[in-house]
Amino acid sequence: MISESLRFEGFDSRSWTNLISLFAPRVVTRLESEGAASDSPELHEDEASGPRAGSLVVVLDDRERVLKAFHTIHGRVTDLDYPGPDGLEDLAARYGARRCVVLREGVMEEIAERVAHRIQRGEDYVAQLLVVARAVRELSESGQLVTWPRPLGDVPIPTAPMVQRALDTVLPDGHAMVMVVWSGATTWTGAVLRRRGGAIDLIAGPDLIARWTGPLGGDWRRDHRVITAAVERAVAPVHLGVFTELTTLRALLRSTDPGSWARAAAVRDVIVHPTPPYVAVALGADAVRAAAQRGARWLGGLEALGQLSPLATYLRGRVAEVASVTATLGFDPLKLLAAYLRRAEDAELEADRAPGRDAVDEGDAVDEGDAGDEGDEGDEGE
Amino acid sequence: MAGPKRRASARRSRKRAVVSSKTAPPELRGRALRVGDREVPLYSGAMHYWRLEREAWRPGLTQLRDLGLPIVETYVPWQVHEVAPGEHDFGRTDPRRDVGAFIDLAAELDLLVFARPGPHINAEMTYFGLPERVVYDRACQARSPRQNPVLQAFPPRMFPVPSYASETFHEELGRWYDAVAEVLAPRLWPAGPIVMLQVDNEASYYFRDACYDQDYHPDAIAQWRKYLERRYGTLAKTAAAHQEAYRRWDDAAPPVRFEAERPEQLVRHLDWSRFREELIERSLARMGKRLAKAGLHGPVTVHNLPLGDQGVAMSSAAIERHIDLVGFDYYHARREHRAIKRRTLTLAGTHPVPYAPELGIGAPAWFTPLSNDDSLFTTLTALAYGLRGFNLYMAVDRDRWYGAPIAASGTPRVEAGAWKTLLGKLKATRFHALSRRVEVGLMLPREYAQLSRATSLLGFASPTVLEAVGGSPVDACREDDFGFAGPIQVLWWKMLARFAAALTARSIPYVYVDSDADPSRLEGLRALITPSFELCDPERWRAVTSFAEAGGAVVYGPAMPSLDLRASRTPFEVPRGGRRVLIDTDDDATQVVDELASALELRRPFPVSPAPLETTVHEGGDGPSVLFVINPSKDRLTACVTVPGRVALEDVLTDERFGGQDTVSIPMNGWSCRMLTIEAAAEQEREAVGAAS
Repeated sequence: MISESLRFEGFDSRSWTNLISLFAPRVVTRLESEGAASDSPELHEDEASGPRAGSLVVVLDDRERVLKAFHTIHGRVTDLDYPGPDGLEDLAARYGARRCVVLREGVMEEIAERVAHRIQRGEDYVAQLLVVARAVRELSESGQLVTWPRPLGDVPIPTAPMVQRALDTVLPDGHAMVMVVWSGATTWTGAVLRRRGGAIDLIAGPDLIARWTGPLGGDWRRDHRVITAAVERAVAPVHLGVFTELTTLRALLRSTDPGSWARAAAVRDVIVHPTPPYVAVALGADAVRAAAQRGARWLGGLEALGQLSPLATYLRGRVAEVASVTATLGFDPLKLLAAYLRRAEDAELEADRAPGRDAVDEGDAVDEGDAGDEGDEGDEGE
Repeated sequence: MAGPKRRASARRSRKRAVVSSKTAPPELRGRALRVGDREVPLYSGAMHYWRLEREAWRPGLTQLRDLGLPIVETYVPWQVHEVAPGEHDFGRTDPRRDVGAFIDLAAELDLLVFARPGPHINAEMTYFGLPERVVYDRACQARSPRQNPVLQAFPPRMFPVPSYASETFHEELGRWYDAVAEVLAPRLWPAGPIVMLQVDNEASYYFRDACYDQDYHPDAIAQWRKYLERRYGTLAKTAAAHQEAYRRWDDAAPPVRFEAERPEQLVRHLDWSRFREELIERSLARMGKRLAKAGLHGPVTVHNLPLGDQGVAMSSAAIERHIDLVGFDYYHARREHRAIKRRTLTLAGTHPVPYAPELGIGAPAWFTPLSNDDSLFTTLTALAYGLRGFNLYMAVDRDRWYGAPIAASGTPRVEAGAWKTLLGKLKATRFHALSRRVEVGLMLPREYAQLSRATSLLGFASPTVLEAVGGSPVDACREDDFGFAGPIQVLWWKMLARFAAALTARSIPYVYVDSDADPSRLEGLRALITPSFELCDPERWRAVTSFAEAGGAVVYGPAMPSLDLRASRTPFEVPRGGRRVLIDTDDDATQVVDELASALELRRPFPVSPAPLETTVHEGGDGPSVLFVINPSKDRLTACVTVPGRVALEDVLTDERFGGQDTVSIPMNGWSCRMLTIEAAAEQEREAVGAAS
């Protein structure tokens, strides 16, 4: 699924960082957070201040004696009493961590051995990562590796062929996806993905896109056709194109208003062209997000969609496609997306509540602004 | 107090043969390259010929030269040129593989060349530039404790890493060197432009360098036994030292996990940790000799350590006994000021030429994103603390990279302007020839770093990895004390951190000196601060006592050593006039530093307030020449710099001018570093202030 000869090119540091800020905002906001307080920081219980951030790592021996504890940002912890696997949430809170990872001594070595033993020559990177995921899952299920929270704890790990079939739906072989985001008349970021020979073999950035298109007119609602045509000429038939302005995209990413994506598409604030069927479902993701916030069940409970009319009607018509992807993978990717967004929002709300929050605001944005605002200082990202 | 007696420099002189200066091999002299009659500062930029269309070579090289870089650096990837086992293409079938033509074009454009033929190159290439057939040859593969291959996990493909001990691998790389030498050797200086050659790359076991991660390859285990024989002489002595009942050398198996509770049980693990450093050192020495045998001798040889210098299972100082120039790579965000500072001060204290074989402009897509501001800040900050040469990686953009100042088409990006200005000013100020006067050294005790690696609990998330992601090399070390007063493997780092903070707070310049460094690195220092615990390397301690004997002030502690690295009771000499200290708090370190500063009247050039602002001063023959002001915090601050008399300063990047009598105020953005030329001429300063007002 990822080609051994993958090409990644055509980004400058700004366009790449901007792109990352859209999909992994914490990775970018981490760059704007303060570094460690010293070369050898230490943290004591209830000393942590500010929003919760980073991970608390605890290593135990076979008798559950603490061999080591440290906070990934605030350093060494010497006064930790291990409360057992049921007390990790409280433990994380006491040390100001967003996550807690408890490992038995030797578990990392065990993961390395199992993975090395199982990975076969010729397997692609996704297949290799799935081998890693399965090894981690096995050790987690045997209690040698315990984490809080467990966002993917109940998600079955698909096989490589399952992922391959799901990818067939998202980006058929021999096709490309293109996304371009503008800020005013200039390109803020953009990317083209191509799948060839069954694998993603090209990720191209704005520099290359500009080379393919030549000078553009400056009106993105017209230029998107030029871009699509250029990508078709230079790369492959375009299966999905997404074009919008940064301000619109930022508003949409921050919006909890059900149907905002769909409305933006209807009034051409976002142009999705061509529009494969599954994308129509994705357009409702923010609606699912809003529903989740209200405590409703997510997409799995279709009654929740009743609240989202007329979007629900729009989604219901495509349930079959969602179901096919879900059946292929063994889990519902939209459900995962909703869970991810909800966790991101929880972190943001917590950071908002924390005293002295000023670490990340619009003034700290990467460029003209960034879409990420998790306020998760020093977080390693998801 | 008088400084330590200067010893005669033992620097290499082998290259100063009686030959014409125009045909003499290139050499390092005065922190620059001497090439023929030219002094060439160590500033180069990376450009990967095989990843670019042929028509992009000329504009790329031209722009690189116009940026102010006298040297172009390129890898020469084995994987790209080997089209079948033993069959190599250097342009016959694909013009982009014509490395000879690329080097010739560089020469035509008046550029010198820094070639890096591997075998390991990384360069974000699949299999790190090695042929697939080699990495999947079982005889070449590094082994885990269970004899599994050891996987490198970078995208787009995990792969088994080679063993640095494998005889088969060394034979393979020898054949590669022979093949590539046919193209490179005729282009060595003076016949061609190649003046620098790198031996391998980031030899940190392919980032799988945790103590018990690898290498249990049969050839490595054979080397381990030879190492023990060299160290202990006999099997019986080895068995006694390891507290094992070895009946024959085959019984002397390396440890596969840490399992010590008492000092004497640490010996075997310390031996393994130290052996793994030596394995890399010997392997690199062997590669260097093999390059020479292939005909690639003459250029200055280079090697680079990856991020995570203290955690890495290799000794840069030991490697420099075999390779001319050893440096550290830099890929840092602005928030990592602390790491940039620590790494550069280690280079400045340990190596004669503080050099960055890779100073990142941009990054691979699978690293934490870095902006051009990050790269500029990293460069300026590293220069501030004493970096004297660098290779900008990448100068010209390419596949699997973003952020280079010159696009892959050869067109300069907007970011190129700042780099061109900076390089111009470095040349104008002859920055490479300036020096920073430092009187205090913090000694990095290698035996304690080795213990830290042995006691790390996170497996493949080794101390190197933890350091590379912003942690410390002791973050994951177990807390056991093994019968000592405390966990040495953690406390040595803590003590150094406290002294570093105290010295910084008092604006006293300092460097880190690796205990493996050439003794000449202690020359010029007036005070040496070193952690010492019950267990200690007697050889290191001799360097400490010699320093004291020569008149230097020694601060050590918390314990006076009593056990050697075999955990045997050994008499350790008390450093003459040395002061043993117990540093339990940050204030303890501050008090010691204050007393040291007062007793020795340590220099505090151009002190600055408020904290955490810092300054560094670089001097030429005429006195202070360049001042750096560093703001390592996120907040915007105004620096109040105390200056000697009336001084005018000019920011080399912005052309802003600042002046004043006794103090100068300089606005500093958050996470910023200014490089300022120092002009003492009052007239100029008055004119500037008048014009500004």
